[in-house]
Formats: sequence, C-alpha cells, structure tokens
Amino acid sequence: MSGHPTREEDFDLYALGALEGEEKETIESHVAGCAACSRKLAEAHGRIAMLALGAPRVEPSQSVRERLMSSLHPTVDDRTVKLPPAEPEQAGGFFGRWWAAVLAPAAVVLALAAFFLWTENSRLDRQLTELRAKVQEQQKQLDYARNVAHLMEAKDTISVSLAPMPGMPNGAVKVMYNEKMGMLMYDGWIEPPPEDKSYQLWVVPMEGNPISVGVFNPATSDSAHWLTKIPEGVPAKAFAITLEPAGGAAAPSGPQVLAGPAS
Amino acid sequence: MRASDAALIERIVAKDEAALAVLYDRYAGMVCSMLNRILRDKQAAEEILQDIFYQLWRTAGRFDSSRGSLAGWLIVIGRNRAISLLRRHNPSQGEELLENTVVLPSNLEGRLAQEQSFRRVESALAALPREQRAAVELAYFEGMTHSEIARRTGDPLGTVKTRLRSAMESLKRNLQMETR
Repeated sequence: MSGHPTREEDFDLYALGALEGEEKETIESHVAGCAACSRKLAEAHGRIAMLALGAPRVEPSQSVRERLMSSLHPTVDDRTVKLPPAEPEQAGGFFGRWWAAVLAPAAVVLALAAFFLWTENSRLDRQLTELRAKVQEQQKQLDYARNVAHLMEAKDTISVSLAPMPGMPNGAVKVMYNEKMGMLMYDGWIEPPPEDKSYQLWVVPMEGNPISVGVFNPATSDSAHWLTKIPEGVPAKAFAITLEPAGGAAAPSGPQVLAGPAS
Repeated sequence: MRASDAALIERIVAKDEAALAVLYDRYAGMVCSMLNRILRDKQAAEEILQDIFYQLWRTAGRFDSSRGSLAGWLIVIGRNRAISLLRRHNPSQGEELLENTVVLPSNLEGRLAQEQSFRRVESALAALPREQRAAVELAYFEGMTHSEIARRTGDPLGTVKTRLRSAMESLKRNLQMETR
C-alpha cells in the first residue's frame, strides 16, 4: 500500500473528479486498504456533494412522483407466469403426476387471473374511449359557446327576424350575421316540412347569387340553434328559407317559407 | 413528528411505499436541481431522478444509515449518472458507491436545514475568486478533470491545479466553519 496522501485536499479533488492518471490511481489504491483515509474520502465526498446545493432550484414535475409510485407495482405482464412446456407423463413417473396435480390448479388460477385482468383492461380501455369522446364533445360545446359570444359581442353583427310567407309552414326564426367574420347563427323554429322535403337557409348578397348557409329539417333534428361559417366579406341584402328537395339544392328552387331584409 | 431518514429506510426495506414518498418529497427538489444544472434538460433530469429513487426502493437494504447520509448518497449517485449521460460513458463509479459512504457536513433532513445549507453553499461559492469558482463548476457540474478544464479555459494545467486546490481549501474551511 502506498503512503497516506500528503495533502488533505487530494481527497476533495478526487471526490470532485478532477484527478486523473497516476494521481487518481494513487488515491484509489491507498484508500482501498486504509480505513482512516477511507473515512476521510467519505467526508470529502460529503463536502463535494454539498456543491449540489449551488445549483439553481428546479422542482420536478408532479408526474415524476406519480410514475415513481406506480412503478413500484409490477405490471400485468410482470405478473404473467410463463408455464414450462408440458412433458410426457412417463418421464416424471409418480413425481411427474404429483407436480401435475399441483400445477394444474395453479394453471387454472393463473388462467382465470389472466382472463380477469384482460377483461378489466378492456373495461378500462372502453372507459378511456368514452372519456375521450366526452372531452371532445365538451370542447366542441366550448368552441360553439365561444363563437356565439364573439358573434353577439361584435358591434357589426346584424340581427334579422325572418317573417313567415302566406300559405307556408309557420315559424319564428332570427338570424344573426357578421359579414367580416363570415359567421351566421340560426335561432328559431319552423313547422316540419312535407315528407321528402328540407328547409334551406340562404344569404342573399348585394351582388350575385344566393349563398346556401345550411340545409335542415326540424322533423329529424332537434337543433333549434346552430352556427355556421360562410365566406367572409359578403354583404347581405336579405335572408331567406326555402322549401327544397331533401338534402337541399344548389340554388333556390322552391317557395320561400320565411324571409327578411338585412336592413 | 418528522421521521428520520434511517427510520424511513427501514420502512422501505419492509416495502412501505409511503416511506419512499416521504423521502422523495424531502429530497427530490434538491436532487432534481442538481441534475437539471448538469444536464440542462429537465426531462432527462427527471428520468434520472425517478431512476435513483426506484434504485433506492430496490436496494435500500444495502444502505447503512449509520455509516453515511442518504442525502449525500442520492446526490453522489445522481451526479454520477448525470455526468455519465452528459459524457456518454458507463456510470460504473455510481454503482460502486452503493457500498461506500458519503458523510455530509450538514444534516439535510429538515426543510429548514436544507434552506440553511443552500445559503451556506451559495455564500461559500460566492466567496471564491471568479476563476476558482468557474473551475469548481466545470469540475462539479460538467465532470471535467484538471486537464479538461485547462483545455476548455486555455489556462496552463498547473494554474488550473492550483486554482482547484485553493478552491477546495476555501470551501472546506468555509463549509466546516459554518457548521460548527
């Protein structure tokens, strides 16, 4: 064994990791056989470890703790026991049958446990899918509410009540329209259309042909409110709802059911 | 009443998960700060953090609380892992330290004690001349040896050795003086 390091700081420099080559090897070979210096090295490791407290403080994410705690439990895969392949009965004789008698119930229990875990996993998967769908639905509702709020708050949004035409199904419909946003909201009710027919809402622009805003049928849809986007920057002259073949038409072809001027 | 690290280690040996959670809450922030400083990558730091606490869970029975400090062990193992990742070499030294001991000059088991130690280390580092502090940080947080620091800074090897030795003397004096 070599002599004790002559300078105390050598232990700190070793713990710091600054030493290399012969200097490092000298400390390592000496400490391995010297209890007193081993103690000094432990203290040097402690002093150097304190430098960690000189780092800017950063808190770990909460998810690290959660992952750590859940990692303490073996997974389903870890718990699955792989049974050895079956051997011919005569190879084991009495002991083979004895082991088979013990292992067979165990295998049944394991199979049942595996089946239970599989069904549980399937159930959780289904729950997860349902929850994801709910979140998506809530997100859609939130987006809808946000768009409605924007439309209603905008100073240049116009609100038009559509009046029923004589001899046509009765209804009360209000349309809110913002040409800059290219957004229109329908709010109201109309008596159901005849069979094989639908209603179609149109924006009648200052120039050009009517633009279809939406096809709907109160008999098959319970939505009395809906919001839709059309091309931005289309000044409206009027709004009209026409009676069209089921599925709608490319241009107004049926009678007007309700209509109202934009100003 | 706060449980000691030694008592919590005994409970971990008996597979008490709550004891591991207490130790995690006690030291995770301190260890994560160091790992993040070394790696400058919070995600990588958190992976090592989780890994060393999981290692503690698996091997707590090999830890002898009477011979060394758990906080010191977590710091040394964590630093070795992080520097190995940074420098892409095998963290063999960290594994060997499982049986070794780290004797801290301060008890870090309480939050107040940790706060005091943070301030003590900050003031001890602040008291170092700028070049000495830079050399210490290159060695501690980047795992550089004397000659690597000399190459990085462009200073003569002898100068770097003298700086680090002087820094070690000052730190030892300041850290120990304030713990008395």
